[in-house]
Amino acid sequence: MSKHSGKEQWKHLAERELKGNPVESLNREAPGGITLKALYTAEDIEQYECTNTLPGLPPYLRGPMATMYAGRPWTIRQYAGFSTARESNEFYRRSLATGQRGLSVAFDLPTHRGYDSDHPRVSGDVGKAGVAVDTVEDMNILFDKIPLNEISVSMTMNGAVLPILGGYIVAAEEQGVKHNELTGTIQNDILKEYLTRNTYIYPPLPSMRIVSDIIAFCADAMPRFNTVSISGYHMMEAGADIVLQTAFTLADGLEYVRTALKAGMDIDTFAPRLSFFFGIGMDFFMNVAMLRAARFLWHRLISRFNPKNARSSVLRTHCQTSGWSLTEQDPYNNIIRTTLECMSAVLGGTQSLHTNSFDEAVGLPTDFSARIARNTQLIVQEESQVCHAIDPLGGSYYIESLTMSIVEEAQKIIDEIEEMGGMAKAIESGMPKMRIEESAARKQARIDQGIETIVGVNKYKSGETPDFEIREVSDDVRVQQIVRLQEIRKTRDNKVVAKALENLTKAAERGGNLLQHTLPAVRARATVGEISDALEKVFGRYVATTLCISGVYASEYRDKEIIESLRRRSELFMEHEGRRPRILLTKMGQDGHDRGVKVVATALADMGFDVDISPMFQTPGEAAKMAVENDVHLVGVSSLAAGHKILIPGLLTELAQIGGEEIMVIAGGVIPPRDYRFLYDAGVSEIFGPGTSIINSANKILNLLEKQFMG
Amino acid sequence: MTITDVQYYVDGVLARNRRVLSKTITMIESSLPFHQNIARNVMERLLPYTGKSIRIGITGVPGAGKSTFIESFGMMLLKRGLEIAVLAVDPSSKKSGGSIMADKTRMERLSAESRAYIRPSPTGRTLGGVAQKTRESLLVCEAAGFDVVIVETVGVGQLETTVASMVDFFLVLMIPGAGDELQGIKRGILELADAIVINKADGDNVPRAHLARQEYETALHLVNPASANWSPPVLTCSALEERGIEKVWETILDHKRQLGATGELAAKRKDQSLEWTRFLINEGLQEWFYKNDQVSRKIPDIKGKIEAGLITPTQAAQDLLSVIMISGASDDALQREENEK
Ligand code: B12
Ligand SMILES: Nc1nc2c(ncn2[C@@H]2O[C@H](COP(=O)(O)OP(=O)(O)OP(=O)(O)O)[C@@H](O)[C@H]2O)c(=O)[nH]1
Ligand SMILES: [Mg+2]
Repeated sequence: MSKHSGKEQWKHLAERELKGNPVESLNREAPGGITLKALYTAEDIEQYECTNTLPGLPPYLRGPMATMYAGRPWTIRQYAGFSTARESNEFYRRSLATGQRGLSVAFDLPTHRGYDSDHPRVSGDVGKAGVAVDTVEDMNILFDKIPLNEISVSMTMNGAVLPILGGYIVAAEEQGVKHNELTGTIQNDILKEYLTRNTYIYPPLPSMRIVSDIIAFCADAMPRFNTVSISGYHMMEAGADIVLQTAFTLADGLEYVRTALKAGMDIDTFAPRLSFFFGIGMDFFMNVAMLRAARFLWHRLISRFNPKNARSSVLRTHCQTSGWSLTEQDPYNNIIRTTLECMSAVLGGTQSLHTNSFDEAVGLPTDFSARIARNTQLIVQEESQVCHAIDPLGGSYYIESLTMSIVEEAQKIIDEIEEMGGMAKAIESGMPKMRIEESAARKQARIDQGIETIVGVNKYKSGETPDFEIREVSDDVRVQQIVRLQEIRKTRDNKVVAKALENLTKAAERGGNLLQHTLPAVRARATVGEISDALEKVFGRYVATTLCISGVYASEYRDKEIIESLRRRSELFMEHEGRRPRILLTKMGQDGHDRGVKVVATALADMGFDVDISPMFQTPGEAAKMAVENDVHLVGVSSLAAGHKILIPGLLTELAQIGGEEIMVIAGGVIPPRDYRFLYDAGVSEIFGPGTSIINSANKILNLLEKQFMG
Repeated sequence: MTITDVQYYVDGVLARNRRVLSKTITMIESSLPFHQNIARNVMERLLPYTGKSIRIGITGVPGAGKSTFIESFGMMLLKRGLEIAVLAVDPSSKKSGGSIMADKTRMERLSAESRAYIRPSPTGRTLGGVAQKTRESLLVCEAAGFDVVIVETVGVGQLETTVASMVDFFLVLMIPGAGDELQGIKRGILELADAIVINKADGDNVPRAHLARQEYETALHLVNPASANWSPPVLTCSALEERGIEKVWETILDHKRQLGATGELAAKRKDQSLEWTRFLINEGLQEWFYKNDQVSRKIPDIKGKIEAGLITPTQAAQDLLSVIMISGASDDALQREENEK
């Protein structure tokens, strides 16, 4: 049945419908180098042996479990955390009471980066983008009345993974729960932090040792706990297409496997406890196929190590729908987007899922928006009847072909990385980060031109701004945390703390399992910052290398006229002022979202600006110093982690103090519109929210400059 | 908006006011004659205060680790109580004319230090352009009292020669490659170097770095040293792990002692000034030549003739030059007289 008898006839008909154009004119070039046809038939998949396989059995393409959702539906696991431990705890308990099955803790950025709430570098960040945790006392409150032997807990923690995982273990101890009863996941995936998530603390080598020590500790003491959640989600959100996400994630996985093997572990003692985390975007079928392809590839990659336990090569994954696909404009559209993405994840066979809230591009979810997000999954799970059949799209000509195309393209990139010596080496070279940023810049250019539709943003704009509650975390949280910290430092036995920290530093220096050595310090009420410092003494703090791409935005932008006209204006400005418009783009506080700042930087340079980029994590004072030394015309602040009301006025004050008061300040990122007035009053000249086309931004910036200097 | 009072800049620089120092460099780099005029006057008044710092040039291929090296090196100098200024020259895009300057992302600690000043400058479309101004910026930093001034430039085109001709010590940063180190390395750069430092001598790279060191040592033997009192050493370091950095500083101090004692350093600076003057005259002449009305009128015609193969390039140049030799010079002299009236 290889060649379809009617294929020629179909082609003939199709070309008539296309008014003489070839059927190939219907092909679509999908990102990742995959060409999609309009029609697939049996012919397209007969070469693949794996299509007619079974779930729960190699190569696991159709699912990691034999019964999948027919046996038990996926776990609804919403990522959440904000403000104090007390407030987050109450939120968790309300969620568990209304249909959520497992917890997933979002920590604030100071905690992620190993700083206590009273550290001078975190003045704008405490409790803003997650829950603030300084000691095990906070952990105890966070899990208050949540029995840790029953509820599985997932924790997104990578940088400060030792004090936080330690804090969770000790909180369980103090609840009377034994180590081996604990179920859940620690993200503990440091490699992708260097690539996209930016909450690293130490350099790669000691960080990989931490990962491996945790794997070893848990293999022994916490056999039901997932020790690494190998994450592609963050790469996708930073701009990676499906093929890049698949390839880089699995390559990261391989690197962890090798690290554990090198540390002397047996593959079967740890591989079954590696789990994955994928991001699910709007390209509906592609995302379904991606999960299937990833399972197939992981099985193939791990089989090389000859595991005896079948579970060692099974890819189990959590998924999250794409926050990047959600918009500030016409925000209720986001519910629809999230539903589609939810369906993709489910049809792809995820084990657990987070669905985003419709207020994603404005702030952390409120109780209301979180309920709608959770209900999205509940409705799919309990009303739509999709759970009944296992891998319902299996056998579809299209899905199976897509699956194998992704396998092939991703394998090519994995091979390329293997040739470089593995993912750690590849990351060192900057290759994966550059690929992701390039992909992000292309995407931005395509959206800015309207080649890719985003309803309500670049097409079918409504202009309406619906009014709904927005979560705002009070600056008071920092004060509360500081008071608690002072109290704890006063009441604990500081000698015991000092001794425990000293032992930890020694272990970092001379060897010994670092998680093992962290626990006594946590029990003694050492803080997250103190424990991190004890390690930093030996390991040092990592500074990221910022590589910049150039020319990508302009080359993807087809309307060269527009680019040229902006370039001419930069040129005219130079003729008038003696130099090009010069802008410093900066990220202040612990906010690690750099996708926006990177695309804006590369696009503005393409339009003839001289663009200075500051290091990440600046204090307002540091940013001001840089602006003055580089003598820029303006500073552009990109702020996504809710520190804008503290950090931006801080910058303006600092600028004035060192004679830079005439330097204009503009801002962009996730800034709720109701804060605009406050920022304008503080002296900000212009604000560019999510969804602003960079062409528009450049135009407005030039307007500002022309008015100020040439007007 | 531009402050025209020359003394404002002079006083500010001498008072080590960062804001004014920055604005002075902006004036120097500006393409507006009016700004350049201010800059010239400022320079003139600052000149007596220059000459006291150690001037170091650092070059190397893109990604050699220059910025990272400066971060480690600079932090080490600060610890020794010195104040340092860094001028980083960044290539601009030929297409858009714009640039992305990310130098400070590699100098995170140094750029936050109050006793360090770092100024990145885009080259603009013509590579040489800003590099020439860098010399003046260097002098301004010197007048502002920095003990050490470092110029970072990518090792491309004429940039490195220009930078070498404005510093006391020219350091070439190399990375250990796959063995055949010397391929592709311009001989010229070896002649300019006062030291070669092989960076990234860490991790798996260590053996390769040592191999590279031997090869460069051999290669340097074949080059005539610029001074009888200094044979450029080859060192290894890891900017990232901050190893071998002190040795580089000791080498620079050694160089200063050796060449200082023999008076060579002073002579070198004088030579550089003369060389610089010559350079400026050449630049000025060129600019003046191409701006000449008759020349610019004649160029399209001559260009056409060359393309059509009607005249040789030698003949063409002769034709154009003769324009100013006969009439242009006197025209211009007249013009100047007129202006002065
Ligand atoms: C992508 C993303 C991520 C990626 C970041 C990848 C990366 N390297 O950048 C990942 C997955 C790693 C991530 C992680 C986290 N995220 Co996040 N993330 C987002 C998301 C979905 C999109 C942001 C984005 O990149 N958009 C695309 C870019 C191009 O847009 P943009 O930055 O807004 O820039 C545009 C404009 O704003 C403007 N612009 C921006 N800056 C400037 C500057 C100038 C000068 C100009 C002219 C213009 C301009 O122009 C750009 C082009 O249009 C947002 C939600 C959303 N939809 O906005 C949440 C969001 C920002 N994240 C959030 C949080 C909480 C986090 C975490 C802290 C969660 C946690 N506790 O662990 C982590 C930690 C991250 C960290 N280290 O800081 C929250 C912040 C909450 C708040 N502000 O109140 C948000 C709002 C989601 C939410 N509602 O909960 N995130
Ligand atoms: N292993 C190692 N890597 C280094 C060292 N020094 C720099 N690097 C890395 O090399 C890359 C380039 O470093 P930079 O300091 O930006 O190099 P540069 O020569 O200033 O680069 P350009 O300014 O772009 O020409 C970065 O990823 C650094 O982290 C070192 O001593 N060892
Ligand atoms: Mg550099």
